[in-house]
Amino acid sequence: MKILVCMKQVPQKDAPLKLNESGAWIREDVSYEVNEPDAYALEEALRQKEKHGGEVVVITSGPARAQQVLREALAKGADRAIHLEDNAFVGLDVLNTARAFASAIKDETFDLIFTGLQSDDYGYAQTGVVLAELLGWPHATIIMQIEKSDAGIRVKRELEAGYFQFVDMPLPAVLTIQSGINKLRYATLIGIKQAKNKPLRKVTMAEVQSAVSGNLQKIERLYVPQKTKNTEFLEGSAGEVAKKLVDKLRNEVRVL
Amino acid sequence: MPDTILVVVEQREGKLNRVSWETLAAGQALAAETGWTLEAAVVGSGVANFANEVAAKKVSKVYAVESPKLEPYTPDAFSAALKQFIESKQPKLVLMPHTYQVRDFVPKLATAMGRTAISDCIGYKKEGGKLLFTRQMFQGKLAADVSFTCDAPWFVAFQNGAFRGDKAEAGASAAPVETVNVQIADGVIRNKPQEVFKEAKQAVDLTQAEIIVCIGRGIKEQKNIELAKQLAEALGGELAASRPICDSGWLPMDRQIGSSGQTVAPKLYLALGISGAIQHIVGMKGSRTIIAINKDSEAPIFEIADYAVVGNLFDVVPPLIEEVKKAKAGP
Amino acid sequence: MLVFRKPLENIERPQMPADVVIVGGGPAGMACALRLSQLVDEHNSRNPDAQLSKENIYVLEKAREVGQHCLSGALLDPRSMRELLPGFEKEAPLDAEVTKEAVYFLTEKSKFKLPITPPPLRDHGNYVISLNRFVKWLGSKVEETGITIFTGFAGSDLLFDGARVTGVRTDDKGVDKLNQPKSNFEPGYDLQAKVVILAEGTRGSLTKQLITKFDLAKDSNPQTYGQGIKELWEVPSNRIAPGEVIYTMGWPLTTKEYGGAWIYGGKDNIVSLGFVTGLDYADPRLDPQRVLQDFKQHPFVVKLLEGGKMIRYGAKSLPYGGWWAIPPVAGDGWMILGDSAGFLNSQRLKGIHLAIKSGMLAAETAFEALRKDDSSAATLGRFQKKVESSWIKDELWKVRNFHQGFEHGFFAGLFHAGIQQLTGGRGLRNRYAGTAGHQRMKKLAELPAAGGNEAHLLGPAKGDGKLTFDKLTDLYHSGTKHEEDQPTHLVIHDTNICNTRCVKEFGSPCQNFCPANVYEMVDDSEQPNGKRISLNPSNCVHCKTCDIADPYQIITWVPPEGGGGPNYDGM
Repeated sequence: MKILVCMKQVPQKDAPLKLNESGAWIREDVSYEVNEPDAYALEEALRQKEKHGGEVVVITSGPARAQQVLREALAKGADRAIHLEDNAFVGLDVLNTARAFASAIKDETFDLIFTGLQSDDYGYAQTGVVLAELLGWPHATIIMQIEKSDAGIRVKRELEAGYFQFVDMPLPAVLTIQSGINKLRYATLIGIKQAKNKPLRKVTMAEVQSAVSGNLQKIERLYVPQKTKNTEFLEGSAGEVAKKLVDKLRNEVRVL
Repeated sequence: MPDTILVVVEQREGKLNRVSWETLAAGQALAAETGWTLEAAVVGSGVANFANEVAAKKVSKVYAVESPKLEPYTPDAFSAALKQFIESKQPKLVLMPHTYQVRDFVPKLATAMGRTAISDCIGYKKEGGKLLFTRQMFQGKLAADVSFTCDAPWFVAFQNGAFRGDKAEAGASAAPVETVNVQIADGVIRNKPQEVFKEAKQAVDLTQAEIIVCIGRGIKEQKNIELAKQLAEALGGELAASRPICDSGWLPMDRQIGSSGQTVAPKLYLALGISGAIQHIVGMKGSRTIIAINKDSEAPIFEIADYAVVGNLFDVVPPLIEEVKKAKAGP
Repeated sequence: MLVFRKPLENIERPQMPADVVIVGGGPAGMACALRLSQLVDEHNSRNPDAQLSKENIYVLEKAREVGQHCLSGALLDPRSMRELLPGFEKEAPLDAEVTKEAVYFLTEKSKFKLPITPPPLRDHGNYVISLNRFVKWLGSKVEETGITIFTGFAGSDLLFDGARVTGVRTDDKGVDKLNQPKSNFEPGYDLQAKVVILAEGTRGSLTKQLITKFDLAKDSNPQTYGQGIKELWEVPSNRIAPGEVIYTMGWPLTTKEYGGAWIYGGKDNIVSLGFVTGLDYADPRLDPQRVLQDFKQHPFVVKLLEGGKMIRYGAKSLPYGGWWAIPPVAGDGWMILGDSAGFLNSQRLKGIHLAIKSGMLAAETAFEALRKDDSSAATLGRFQKKVESSWIKDELWKVRNFHQGFEHGFFAGLFHAGIQQLTGGRGLRNRYAGTAGHQRMKKLAELPAAGGNEAHLLGPAKGDGKLTFDKLTDLYHSGTKHEEDQPTHLVIHDTNICNTRCVKEFGSPCQNFCPANVYEMVDDSEQPNGKRISLNPSNCVHCKTCDIADPYQIITWVPPEGGGGPNYDGM
């Protein structure tokens, strides 16, 4: 099975975020890490390779610092990496990012493309689905399990409220992988050493320019959500307070 | 022709998904502000009943977008059907609830039409003539106002609870309902979904919970967790804990909220006996409503709570459970 | 139930041969790697037929990223960097050149400026830096030369063959709280190395193993330490100039404690401030983090910080013992560098330049060993000789009795320091004895119940949330994170002592001297004193204070699973 894993480098979860001058994005000087859901997508791809043989390729777009994500993936066992390295890639919206990826892999023949469930910074959960449409492939989202079948694969989809569903799909296909389905493996010393010699192809914006257009959506501004926090203290006996709370729950919070 | 807002409601397994009313309420609010016409659509096979249900609300028209191939749900069929429908009706704005199903197909639909979707929005703003849609970023740490820089149709999906479903106004009379049969060619649908089934979840995903009851050191002993569990059940929410509880092994690690556990931003966060150390706060301060019960009036949690009860949780929680049960059972 | 981290037994471990393994990617380790690379490159260009490879030279760094565990004020004396990389000032991340120094003696409300800045504290020509950023940059230079830095890997044990060190074992990954392998278990590697270089920083754990096994410290003074607690602040403009350096002595400490504060102006209105408390204080209730919070309430500090924001917190111990506390630094298959050896000038409060120089000298020695394929004690012993004939010795010799002079109080210390200044460091005799800090901690029974003059230093800080902070809030700003499901890496050899003796005799000082709330005595009706030791190991900031200061010496700090620890971004 030839599997492509789309990965993203995001600011560390507890990094203090500051707005940049334009106010439409954050300042670059924070620590970065791999988007955690993508780490699960990679883990699943590596397990599929262990079961069925084949190749795992990882791809990311971003500035030079994003290479770290690819190196870590190679150290864990991925075979090749593709880096869309160009500052111009940073500002692309989801459609254009997917277009850039599709263009970068146009000469490859993957059986499966995995993405993480969503990114920890944007949280759109769209890239995988958009990519599937661009490639003309079937897709499924929030996948817990993948098994090979005669006609392709059988996947287990997670639905709301504790429901699940199996879906049979042909290959090639795009899957977005649920987090936490497996324990993530560690990179080993040998893996890290070997990673240095694994192929890493760099792709510039010029190479995919024809596939990409202007953004279709734009972040006008980014800001710290202002919570006009007027803490309302509820007083009275326990019984009275309970009634007041329920009143709030019903009318203000609307959960009852 | 005035511009149209199209609300696509969701039906699943014989029921209209309740969040659809929230989306309708959003549509009504937008229509009022923009002066655009509001219409709605239900997608599926044999969905006339749902269309009639929606028609009771204040909308100009309701469509039943029909094809036997739309049952069961597949992203291929829904995307093909809605693409056909939207191309013919050309709405300006297409609204949907941000459900698992919508996440599964709306990016595909938008891409197929050469457009884009702004998903998981918690609200909107109208600035000058422009519509901006607000969404949470960086797990709730920041908010973004996003606009469309392309032609219509514009696809927007709203987060659960962003609007009040009960605010969806009823119509003076039933709106006209039109059935639109869409053609989905052979070979379009590639996925073969099997029966939906329920399964005990291996691990809990607190980030998906709308209601969270979280306990802290104030719970004192392991056996008292039962009380919190009852409250969580009564509310239909999930049980979570601050770090010390999980460290003691009283609840599993996947129920931990905080800098070393999960970061959540549910509709309702109920903190029982939690002091509000910064390590915990950063994991939940994005919650839409925070209710805190704590004996200590100086507990830092009260600084971020919307509703605060300075009291003994063992006194307050039992009657609270009763009142919640009554409210849910009642008319 | 406390289960302590221990390498798993009876398992097969992957073996990896190495020429040189440098344990620790701080300034000493990185300088060593860089210098070694330079020497190999030079050699290879002159000997195309007898090339040496860099493929098997490794740096092991326990942090997830280079520099993440590096913390210091810091002021860099550029002397050794100029030797290592002439012209380094043009590309290294230096915050500012020191422009102004002042030393103050503080009382609770006022300050007295010393009319003349004592020569050792004159910093003109030095740079205010963030050690974290500096080491990150140095690390990038090491990687550029082709030496592999393994981040997220800790050296957990030394491998021995009789009197010879034959290698390093890395940490077991994927072990749960009960020390059982999880499904993603990866055993630590046995790196069989010709030369093992220990550059672990203060109170190195492998260094401690080595010293204990071969009784290396028998002829040296016991090493003594201070704990440095630092906060990084963003303040409104014009409060302090970039390159402005302030040292203080006196309040909040009394004449009985050793220590003082530093305040350095960085660039972009960032201020580095911190307090060093000697870990040889008498009252076990003393809390160094509290001392820092007290210090910040001095009027002149309030003026500096008002309206500012604390952006990062950290703590680390530092070895003060000086020349006489340095053990032998080379032997059969091993060398010890930097703070691990104790190359720190306690009078000038600087050690980075000495760490770098020691790294360079070790690199020269290691290079010879590689060239001759001989890493015996005779060859590596050259490192000892190089150190003794270098300016490291010149500098440290002059201050060899500095810290010991303070063991009887502040004024005695000043007196001795004065004499030492006039006698090339000798003072009243060539070698002053030293006492290990933990031995000077008194039992509660011997101290005034309310703390006497030290009362304001005892117990945890409450913090007002704006200028001062309680420990937990401060800790949050250290960015500390560990894999939660792993055994405890603070190895307490006999928890009964904690629960039965220490709680009564010393009142469980671990709760006070740990800057990270790792140690807690929790209620437990089954214990004789109603309390039981409980640990929050994932709070640990790797400062090593517990290993140093525990009065019973029953705590051994071992590295937790690699990749975990504080995140000293910008520190």
